[in-house]
Amino acid sequence: MEPHEFKLTEEGIKAVLPPLEAEIMEHMWKVKVATAGQVYEYMKQKHPEIRRSTISILMNRLCEKGLLQRSVEKGRGGMRYVYSITTTREEFEQKVVQRILDALMTNFREATYAYLSRIKK
Amino acid sequence: MLYVILALEVLLVVEAFGDLGIAMAGGAMAFLGALYIWATRHKFGENLIPLEREEMPWLYDGIAELAEKANVPMPKVYLLDDYIPNAYSFGNTIVLSLGLFEVLDKDEIIAVAAHELGHIKNRDTKWFPMVTYGRCLMMITTLALLIAGSVPVKGAATVLYIAYELARSDFMKKREFLADETALRLLKIPMSLKRALEELKYYEDLRMNVKVNAVPSIEPGIEREKRFAFFTETHPSYEERILRITFEMNNLMRMKQVR
Repeated sequence: MEPHEFKLTEEGIKAVLPPLEAEIMEHMWKVKVATAGQVYEYMKQKHPEIRRSTISILMNRLCEKGLLQRSVEKGRGGMRYVYSITTTREEFEQKVVQRILDALMTNFREATYAYLSRIKK
Repeated sequence: MLYVILALEVLLVVEAFGDLGIAMAGGAMAFLGALYIWATRHKFGENLIPLEREEMPWLYDGIAELAEKANVPMPKVYLLDDYIPNAYSFGNTIVLSLGLFEVLDKDEIIAVAAHELGHIKNRDTKWFPMVTYGRCLMMITTLALLIAGSVPVKGAATVLYIAYELARSDFMKKREFLADETALRLLKIPMSLKRALEELKYYEDLRMNVKVNAVPSIEPGIEREKRFAFFTETHPSYEERILRITFEMNNLMRMKQVR
């Protein structure tokens, strides 16, 4: 997943993901594998008004972004989609930092070097 | 009405082109007949997974119960590997997408299956392909008439084509409502059909970016291809269906009270 925007005012991964998607990813990095129904039950605790449709759409959106992958599983209760993470949180954060620094080096090379050298000292 | 328009179209072709018209109409009908036979034999896509009873007894038994009540043979049930909630029927087959199982509960999924069973019971799965092939026939013959016909023939062909589209749209919508009515009579919990449609409407609204402020991450990338139908829309809106279902449920309750 390549982040395309960075919100300076948001904390953590909400800086690169919309709030609900960020919450879903935080949960998915903890559990690693889950159905949309299980994520719905978790999200409902914090957002009682949230609907299953919202979770399903957002999780498939995260699949499109490459952060989750969807597979069909035959389990108890029948056939269903199971979602799993494609990258660890650490790998994701490294990619974000790398992408941002690359962009800074391309657009503000001198200033970025100067600032990084000041931090290093 | 649709047959009358089709008959008039064939007459117009014969009138405009004589023997060639008879050959054209006959050829087009033979081609569409062959296409129908081919399509009915090659209907299954790779994404369709046959439902075994052991996998989801609640679904299999629920549909079997509905079929018995509707006095139709147990339909074949397939699951479609598609995350977007969707259901359709053809022949004596019901297809339910896996996306349905993410957004609806068991009663609501049975309600969606009951609507599709309604189409089977009302023979829509036989009628709908006919109407679609009729539309293909109309397109082919209208095009031929517009290219080679005289000015009055071109005018008549255009009028007949528009009339067919309007009649088709009206027919298909009425059959959708009828399938809902049938489902309401088959279901143990008729309210589940209303609930299912409300959830699917919510899904569609979200998908169509209506509630962009509630969920800022919905972007066109997730959108299904929107078919621009103009006056040829064949499905009533969720609002229309929910409204009709509410009326129908009230009627059913009144009838029960009278009994």
